[in-house]
Amino acid sequence: MKRNPLNRSFVVLALSSLVIAACAAPPPAAQQPAAPAQPAAPAESQLPAGWKAGIPKNAPDRKGKKLVIRDVPKLIGIGYFAATTKGMEQAAAELGNIDFKTDAPTEAKIEKQIEFIDNFITQGVDVILFAANDPVAIAPVLKKALDQGILVIGYDADAQEDARQFFVNQATFEAIGAALIEDMVSQTGPDAEVAIVTSSLTAPNQNRWIEEMKKYAAAKYPNLKFVVTLPSEEDQQLAFKATQDIMKTYPNVKGVFGLSSVAFPGAADAVKQAGKCGQIAVVGLSTPNQMRPFVKEGCVKSVVLWNPIDLGYAAVYAARAVADGELKPGATTLKAGRLGELQVRGSEILLGPPFIFTKDNIDKFDF
Amino acid sequence: MTARTPTLSPARHVRVLRTQEGVLFIILLVIIVVLSLLSDRFLTANNLLNQTRLLTETALLALPMTLIIIGGGIDLSVGSTLAWSAVMLGFSWQLLGLPLPLAVLVCLLTGLLGGAVNGYLIAYVRVPPLIATLATLAIYRGFSFGISQARSARGFPEEFAFWGQGQIGPFPTQFVVLVVLIVAAHLLLSRTGFGRWVYAIGNNEVAARYSGIPVERVKFTLYALSGLMAGLAAFIFTSRVTTTRADAATGLELDVIAAVVLGGTSIFGGSGSVVGTMLGLAIITLLRNGLLLTGVKGDATFMVIGVVLIIAVLINDLVRKR
Repeated sequence: MKRNPLNRSFVVLALSSLVIAACAAPPPAAQQPAAPAQPAAPAESQLPAGWKAGIPKNAPDRKGKKLVIRDVPKLIGIGYFAATTKGMEQAAAELGNIDFKTDAPTEAKIEKQIEFIDNFITQGVDVILFAANDPVAIAPVLKKALDQGILVIGYDADAQEDARQFFVNQATFEAIGAALIEDMVSQTGPDAEVAIVTSSLTAPNQNRWIEEMKKYAAAKYPNLKFVVTLPSEEDQQLAFKATQDIMKTYPNVKGVFGLSSVAFPGAADAVKQAGKCGQIAVVGLSTPNQMRPFVKEGCVKSVVLWNPIDLGYAAVYAARAVADGELKPGATTLKAGRLGELQVRGSEILLGPPFIFTKDNIDKFDF
Repeated sequence: MTARTPTLSPARHVRVLRTQEGVLFIILLVIIVVLSLLSDRFLTANNLLNQTRLLTETALLALPMTLIIIGGGIDLSVGSTLAWSAVMLGFSWQLLGLPLPLAVLVCLLTGLLGGAVNGYLIAYVRVPPLIATLATLAIYRGFSFGISQARSARGFPEEFAFWGQGQIGPFPTQFVVLVVLIVAAHLLLSRTGFGRWVYAIGNNEVAARYSGIPVERVKFTLYALSGLMAGLAAFIFTSRVTTTRADAATGLELDVIAAVVLGGTSIFGGSGSVVGTMLGLAIITLLRNGLLLTGVKGDATFMVIGVVLIIAVLINDLVRKR
């Protein structure tokens, strides 16, 4: 009853050699990749020198016409992106003549996000708004959209610059750094000793914020003394312990910065349990939901972040302005409804100073 | 070695399979007709060819998964194996400075190694497949994060995009690769002794063993093949999205298994076909694509797909009982 083993091995061998032949061979040089990297420069307008952002190809004239806008955030079903959608809907309603919808995967998965964008390209929408799950992985599909004349604008999380036209930047490092220092000084005075609890010592965003904080303080409050920076590695317990250590080692410390959504509540909790609410100020970056209990008790006076509703609102205004030809390469301002005139730096639209959540407004936000 | 005598009566087997695939084909046609009435952008060569780009990775994994499930096993680690292989591709190219073709080879070998470990655990150590691959699902994902340190490799040269974004004639490159492999897998399962061994093991492992089938070697080969396919899918995936991420393809195993089961393969082993799996995958993909094109929201799409899955399984059951 034995079957011929040669027969079987042959098939397996053939199959595997096929696989290897199919993929190990270098691609023939003559084959062109689907999407050319450089979008053709538009015929009518001159681009500013060094302009690296993408340009849609053969985009039809959409000035004043009805726009179909599709928003593809990292994921749906969380408060943060529900808030950006809310802002977008407000802007769409104000502007009128806009067919707006948000749709995205229910998990922050780049593969699924690409699929949503791809389907919107096939649908032939006018504008795609996105918050990228991965700046590089999302680039090919966004370039495909640009190639088909679709306007592409990012917010919250950027893609490669050449894969989108404009990006609404919710908070620059400088603005966040300045806001944190101002917030701290307003509670401790300009001559205090302060400490920092960061996420990890190599975290790029946190390090940029620290750099900007120190730069701003050195210029404006030279007597503000940074005694130590401790890591919390995205662990609230570690942040708690680091803050206890700070209070023990530096008894004169008057303020602690918590620079992540985990470090901030950890630091606040340590100060609260030490019974030093009001004596040691805790200032930082986090979401309203994380900090709500501390803000309500008064142990934390304010939370620095940006307003995601405004962020979404600005993105739709940017889309309309790009479609109408008002926001184009070289523009320096964007009129954004109730937000007034927003500054445009290169291909980035700046949302402006960070938003400060306090006891009075924190209940309006759920994220 | 005189006559081909599979353990199952072939006539009955083939008849049942044919009807199942027939039912799936009719469901697929109905879906296509309905969706093309709802959206004029659906039934275009452009859209359909584009969909093959999006489904290739899932399809590549579904091929060996069909064989594994027919053989009475399961491989939950495919998504993690894909991520690990992709990370190794990026790592060996960007950090070790290997030439890209060699890095691709590393990627394939990583997949093969992952699959071989599964195969060894299941065939020779006799760990139940569900447990073994659940463990390696976690372990390989851990490797991906550990090796990449949550950094992603990027900046691949333009010609690398050929495999995931390029075309051969009017067809996406990966679709051509996929068709070749579908044919190969179909022939392997339906025309070779190896294929019949897989059915026999899935139907009754003890009987298969007593009739002289090298059960261990067959199982080992299946899981190793599954790993190799995950390596190939990782390569194509990386070329498509131009970056390697440790969290790539999280949960992909569920999409793969859904396609296989919708395709009429019995989750208890012993019956199923490659053609059925591909029909199942086509149904899921086109449904998702078509519903999104007609403006149905993403979360509602999932529900529709779930309902269709249940209906298809019920219809299949009815057909089988008759």
